[in-house]
Amino acid sequence: MTAFKRSEKSATQILERIRQGLDRLNEKMDVVIEIQKHGQRNSESIPDVLDVMTLLSLPDHLRKTAVTLCKLGQATADAVAEQTKRARAVESGYLNQLMLMGYVKKERRGRKAYFYVEKEAEG
Amino acid sequence: MGNIIALHSYKGGTGKTLLSVNLAATYTKRDKDICLLDLDFRAPSLHAAFKTEGNGYWLNDYLNGTCDIKKVLIEPNPLHNESGRLFVGLANPTTEAIREMSAKDRKWEMRALGRLLSLKTSLFNEMHLDHIVLDTSPGLQYSSINAIVSADVVLVVSSLDASDINGTQRMTRELYDLFEKKTGIIVNKVPAGILSTPSKKEKLLEQLNALHSLPILDVIPCFCEVLEAGGTYIFAEEKPEHPFTVILNEVATKIEKF
Repeated sequence: MTAFKRSEKSATQILERIRQGLDRLNEKMDVVIEIQKHGQRNSESIPDVLDVMTLLSLPDHLRKTAVTLCKLGQATADAVAEQTKRARAVESGYLNQLMLMGYVKKERRGRKAYFYVEKEAEG
Repeated sequence: MGNIIALHSYKGGTGKTLLSVNLAATYTKRDKDICLLDLDFRAPSLHAAFKTEGNGYWLNDYLNGTCDIKKVLIEPNPLHNESGRLFVGLANPTTEAIREMSAKDRKWEMRALGRLLSLKTSLFNEMHLDHIVLDTSPGLQYSSINAIVSADVVLVVSSLDASDINGTQRMTRELYDLFEKKTGIIVNKVPAGILSTPSKKEKLLEQLNALHSLPILDVIPCFCEVLEAGGTYIFAEEKPEHPFTVILNEVATKIEKF
């Protein structure tokens, strides 16, 4: 019985690790898709300050995501999607696109990816 | 949660500050707790409207990240017992401060936007205020666009001047529509003769609705008594029965129903 429980626990842990791996893979796929769509970021020519003038110059779909992230401070794609009422996958794509454009940064904490414009400590 | 209401215009001198101060006073008379912030860092005015030198802390300091918003707020005007509280945040009117604010870089403006956006948490959740009124600078300036992005409701104050109408139309397409805010136009300082009868007012509203894609919240005649007061006292408080105060009451109600 004890041996059975041990093997069940170990299977759960393996499944959890697989799920974490798939999540990370999913995030990387989002980035790859955005690179294919829009090309690699040219850090020399693209400004990286998400101020209101930049917000005005963004296409409507990215502006909505960017303004929402500014309001939230830092957020997962899920949290942004909740505000914009768009699908999580859509917001994940837009956030990664903003990251590639140099306006947004991403940090992984455990299984979740957090996006932010600027950390308070950086300010 | 209450509304952040930004008053903006294409041109200067349309009456934003006068309307901001009196709108704030109108809400406090309704027992609402209000915060009025002077975001016109190039031409600060609220210190003069409330005849105060401030408390040594300015909105400039808050946006610089050197002090908390609560340190900046003052209660300059002893209001009637039955009314709500009015807090005011002043912009530093010294030439040095104005020069310093106009030289800020894009990164500073980005952080200033973050600080304006966080006002919602500190003023609504922590101080339990009902509304925040932002008096902004005219045109497409960083401080005014930051205010618009932070606001829930934008009131565009326009005159009947052709260049003002044209500028307001352009800002509607290129600014207000892009940020998907609840936006309405107040046409201020309308020559009294144009509004002398209800049918004339109706005709003017028809013409304005044809010119603007945004809703016209109200038209305010150019009242000699308001001009004569010259901002030396809060008109809506001192003259509660005056037509100017009555119109502002209607505007205040429309904003809450927006």
